[in-house]
Amino acid sequence: MDKLRLIIAREYMSIVGRKSFIIMTLGMPLLFILIAAVPIGMAYLNDKGSDVQQIAVIDETGRYAAALHSDDMYNFVAIKGDTVTNAREFYDKSNGSLDAIVIIPRNVDSTGVVNIYSEGTITPALVSTIRGTLADTIQNAHLAALGIPNLQQMVDKAHVDVDVRSIKWSDQGEQESSTDAAMGLGFLLSFITYMFVLMYGAMIMNSVIEEKTNRIVEVIVSSCRPFQLMLGKIIGVGLVGLTQMAIWVVLLAIVGTVAGSAFGLSGMTTGGVPAEAMTTVEDMGVMESFTRQVLSINYVPIIVNFVLYFLGGYLLYSALFAGLGSAVDQASDASQFTTPVILIMLIAFYAGIACAENPMGPMAVWCSIIPFTSPVVMMVRLPFGVPTWQLILSIVLLFGTALAITWMAARIYRRGILHYGQKASFKDLFKWIK
Amino acid sequence: MAYLEINNVVKRYDEHVALNGVSMHVEQGTIYGLLGPNGAGKSTLIRIINRILAADKGTVTLNGKQMTDDDITHIGYLPEERGLYKKMKVGDHIVYLGRLKGMTKADAIASMHWWLDRFDLKKWENKKVENLSKGMQQKVQFIGTVIHRPPLLIFDEPFSGFDPVNAEQLKVEILALRDQGSTILFSTHNMASVEEVCQQITLLNHAQVVLSGSVDEVKQQHKKNIIAVQTPDKIEPNPELFSILPPDPMKKQDTLIKLDPGVQVRDAINWLNEHYRLTGFTEVLPSMNEIFIETVKFKNTENNG
Repeated sequence: MDKLRLIIAREYMSIVGRKSFIIMTLGMPLLFILIAAVPIGMAYLNDKGSDVQQIAVIDETGRYAAALHSDDMYNFVAIKGDTVTNAREFYDKSNGSLDAIVIIPRNVDSTGVVNIYSEGTITPALVSTIRGTLADTIQNAHLAALGIPNLQQMVDKAHVDVDVRSIKWSDQGEQESSTDAAMGLGFLLSFITYMFVLMYGAMIMNSVIEEKTNRIVEVIVSSCRPFQLMLGKIIGVGLVGLTQMAIWVVLLAIVGTVAGSAFGLSGMTTGGVPAEAMTTVEDMGVMESFTRQVLSINYVPIIVNFVLYFLGGYLLYSALFAGLGSAVDQASDASQFTTPVILIMLIAFYAGIACAENPMGPMAVWCSIIPFTSPVVMMVRLPFGVPTWQLILSIVLLFGTALAITWMAARIYRRGILHYGQKASFKDLFKWIK
Repeated sequence: MAYLEINNVVKRYDEHVALNGVSMHVEQGTIYGLLGPNGAGKSTLIRIINRILAADKGTVTLNGKQMTDDDITHIGYLPEERGLYKKMKVGDHIVYLGRLKGMTKADAIASMHWWLDRFDLKKWENKKVENLSKGMQQKVQFIGTVIHRPPLLIFDEPFSGFDPVNAEQLKVEILALRDQGSTILFSTHNMASVEEVCQQITLLNHAQVVLSGSVDEVKQQHKKNIIAVQTPDKIEPNPELFSILPPDPMKKQDTLIKLDPGVQVRDAINWLNEHYRLTGFTEVLPSMNEIFIETVKFKNTENNG
């Protein structure tokens, strides 16, 4: 037991103490932030960097030009319709000081068509600004022209958004169920399991191969049983993974809190603009419903099961990777053994995605019971409720298989770590297990 | 009863037999040479003693008791193919190996400091292994083998990778460990070092013991009745007593005579003394190298025939 603890501690420190681990742990969230922030930042820089465009608005109706407000990007200059007879001449005379001319024709109320002229390219942003503003203004003008009092309010009242709430009948009575949030949570948990097993499974394999190429392994197994060494690696690397995840959760919480307070502030500053305020209120409605959903999920069984499946899945695959890693001399030879394993993982991942559509379908049920796919697929099904017998069968099978695989991997490992030279084949591996 | 007794050990791999009824008795406080050509089964035997492999048949006893997994703490093993964790610090690495062999942390640290001091590696304690030269890494490896003061030491080609100066230092350390009571099993191809340090040897070939005993006995058994004679005269062969062999290229001034079967050394020397001006003579014993080659070749032709 003492030896196992020593091995775990060494394995853990050998990875956590490395610079690459620190860079990776801090770098991954940074990379995600960058991926999210770069397009926003670029769009911002793009807008900010360009000069304010001068747009002449020739309003033949004389009623709508005022609706186009100048902002950081566009400076709208209203020009009375009868002063310009030839738009082209007017544009030329401006000697390039004008970027475009908007002509609101007299019959715009009936046709709904507005023209923009320019020698340069007309940006989609300008088109959408003009379209949006004029559509609202003209619509309001039409409504007003009907002369019915309080029509605007009546229209607003008539406007309906349909919000579908699914209610689940359970033993505890009615419960608002949570399709979106549940699906999101299921995906998240299944993705975490998938990533974790792949990343740290590969890490274990590399660690096994490194000890073998280093030739340190013979010294170590003359001091402890090979099984202790293998188990120590699996546990040590697993703890590394948990450490990394814990750091990410903490970072996420910090970023979330900072970002949350920042957005809260910006919401207050823009609160004065009615249109903005409206959308915020609407967003709050969605948020509230989402929050309600998130709160309605029954977390205890999900977390308990997640831990069980996570551990079982990790043990199964990491033992497999350790056993296979011991059979090769160098990392580049490992692919002949790892390809089938990674293929199974990929199938599990895609099965998980497919099962989200119909979590009670036959494929979902089977894949969530078969041990090699169950850790990933069951995570997707879990928030929708899974019959107890399926859950028990699946967990028993998973742990039974994980232990069997660990036993087989240990047999392969015992022979593999001292096997040099000739590349081992699958046939050799089966011989070693016997 | 010997300290380490190997009795009738058999080990089969899938198709071939690696050890076929091997026995060997190693007395406490001696250096025992385990010799043999590549593939003779030495590594397999060493791994069985280290309990890395299990024997199919036969017994291994340590100090009179059947060996168990717990006994590996009594063994220090330096494999032929060695290695260290490159990214670990020298001091941490040695302490780790010591603690794996059951030492307490404090004891391992104290012992590590003592050995680093002895090998003049103190200033490297906090350096990573990969920053050390190959010779220094070999020393660290040696310290890792002996740090837990094991009563049984197994060295597989201990001198490979050492320059002559360091090899000499290592030899001194190994002899010192023997003098402190450690029993040492020593596997090597370097026959010169066998003659220098080993008291007993076993020669394995094709999974079997083909020769064993003390170095002196083995040499006596294999002597060819050759005498190196020092004389300024030219000796002619005597058909009743001896023939003349071509001289050893390294010692051309000596005349090598080979006694005919049944002839006593004394009779030949008396006769020579009467007829020539003898200044000296020595009986030529075969080197371990010659015995090794002769035995292995003889057995191989026997097997093939």
